[in-house]
Amino acid sequence: MTDLALGGKAPADRDRILRYLQDYGVYLGVAVLLILNIFLTPHFLSAENFRTQAVQVAPVLIVALGMALAIGSEGVDLSVGSVMALSTSLLSLYLGYGTWIALIVALIGGAAIGVANGSLIAFIGVQPIVATLALMVAGRGLALVLLPQLKDVRDPTMASLGSGDVLGIPYLVLIAAALALVVAFVVRRTTFGRQLLAIGDSRPAARLAGLPVRRVLILVYVCSGVLAAVAGVLATARLTASDPTSLGNLMELSAITAVVVGGTPLSGGRIRIGGTVAGAVLIQLLTATLIKHDLPPSWTQIAQAVVIILAVYAARERGKR
Amino acid sequence: MKPTTRLSRISARTLLATGLAASLALATGCAKSEDDGDKSSVSKDQGDSGQVVSEPSEGSGPTCAIDAYGGKKLDLESATVGFSQSEKEANPFRIAETASIKAEAKKRGVKLLTANAQSQFSKQISDVQDLIAKGADLLVIAPLNSDGWEPVLRSAAAKHIPIVTIDRKINTKACKDYVSFIGSDFVEQGKRAADQMIEATGGKGDVAILLGAAGNNVTTERTKGFQDRVKEKAPDLKIVFKQTGEFAREKGQQVTEQLIQSKPGIDGIYAENDEMGLGAVNALKGAGKKAGDVKIVTVDGTRNAVQGIVDGWISGVIESNPRFGPLAFQTLDTFTKGTKVSQDIVIKDSAYTKDNAKADLGKAY
Repeated sequence: MTDLALGGKAPADRDRILRYLQDYGVYLGVAVLLILNIFLTPHFLSAENFRTQAVQVAPVLIVALGMALAIGSEGVDLSVGSVMALSTSLLSLYLGYGTWIALIVALIGGAAIGVANGSLIAFIGVQPIVATLALMVAGRGLALVLLPQLKDVRDPTMASLGSGDVLGIPYLVLIAAALALVVAFVVRRTTFGRQLLAIGDSRPAARLAGLPVRRVLILVYVCSGVLAAVAGVLATARLTASDPTSLGNLMELSAITAVVVGGTPLSGGRIRIGGTVAGAVLIQLLTATLIKHDLPPSWTQIAQAVVIILAVYAARERGKR
Repeated sequence: MKPTTRLSRISARTLLATGLAASLALATGCAKSEDDGDKSSVSKDQGDSGQVVSEPSEGSGPTCAIDAYGGKKLDLESATVGFSQSEKEANPFRIAETASIKAEAKKRGVKLLTANAQSQFSKQISDVQDLIAKGADLLVIAPLNSDGWEPVLRSAAAKHIPIVTIDRKINTKACKDYVSFIGSDFVEQGKRAADQMIEATGGKGDVAILLGAAGNNVTTERTKGFQDRVKEKAPDLKIVFKQTGEFAREKGQQVTEQLIQSKPGIDGIYAENDEMGLGAVNALKGAGKKAGDVKIVTVDGTRNAVQGIVDGWISGVIESNPRFGPLAFQTLDTFTKGTKVSQDIVIKDSAYTKDNAKADLGKAY
């Protein structure tokens, strides 16, 4: 019955629903998970719990912001996890000069990897997935050469960065929120943002229009590298240790998931920062729900995969139109 | 147009290369970490000096003698020993393991050749072949995998090279493809951890397990030992939470944060390695708990964890002894002199509690 009824105007309706799902499905998902948890998870509705989830999601979100820029330019940055590892190694190595110098060196390390990624892509024409894969391997290697094993960080400034707060809001959450606002502003209101989206839409057209394609692409990967380094620094502060062996492992997957689930198409030309934030929160809530209910750890991975497939399905249907 | 393009390409490449080289130089050249001052004192203790030396627990299991294995007797002092390490010395266990082998070789005046497979199994296979080609008469192998050793071991057996594997067993025939396996009993480690947990909690309450990496035999065996002993000795101690921390501090911290929010009344946490236990300590501190509120028992025996006992955050640490040097060389010595040795040798793991943590801190690796 329903099938028949839909028969006539189905394509338009279905299309509208799918577009709606792609744009707002992630918020729906977050809402559903929140409601489920409030009823099913003991002690979920508490300030401490929300604080924990927000602190845990902060580094993932910061990396995802950079990833959104890369994906918006029709690229991807697989090196983000390794950049986190590199930044933690550099930080640990330079703390002897003082916290701020070490922080700056760590961020420069991220920027350097970004320059390398961007140059390979913009000047030599290497595919983003290949270029950043190369730096993913090289970055982790370099991080382990610099600091072969976990080392404690005793610097008090770092410790307070990791666990301190302003009016009950942890520094990590404030920094992540501020960066999300900045990146949203850059995407929507700056020339760089518009050029980036134009390049993501069609690189040949952008080149013909006389846009500084190379400069913009390099800047995109520098942003991604620096944001990943910020995430690495914050994760180090929270752990009060530099662990280049495991820090940032599989971070590229979490970040790409957050971006794609948030409604940013992999085909470039469009970036949804609000959706990316919600996407990161969605994955965090999903993981937290499964852990809190003590479900087998492998379920988390399967659940994440299901979410990715749903998101990509919605995006694909729309792209085919 | 063309020349400029080429020029910009060249300059980009040059820029890239110099940039990377410069940053590498910068990164390594003028680094100054927090505690460069006391670095030497830390590394000095990494050797075997003053540490508990393992005793071969005489097992009742099958033994191996040189006649059964093939080959001829030789004098260990004049022999060349090859050591193949599986992973790079990036964690305290591997550092202490390699240091122990090197220290014992030096002590006995034996010529030692070493190789490190950097976590690549194919490299370890060629490492072992290289060691044989370079003239190793005896081999000590810390295997990366349990499987896939038949071809290389067969070629070693053809030359009658006695092989001792340490810390991980390989799935081939003992006393044919290799002489003995020396390692810890991970199930026993789990049981001893359970004993400590029972003592710390008084045998009742709710405990959580931070599991190691999935699909790892160390994880399975440390879990089994713990659960079996709890079931047998303290039925009132309930295991209410089992999640993986993947043997990493960060994951241990994140999982514990979720745990203490959903189960605030948790009495104990059994972490299947020290790093996850230290992550749990971070999480408890962050949640405003005080030392001793939640009893933590871990396995490994690294210095940081033993320091955690001294500070009151950790109740007990079961050691997983990485110091295979003395036992490995003793086994090879006994074997090559013609005396039979046990095929399965269990290394003695000590334990740290608040009674001995302070005094034995120097023995932790």
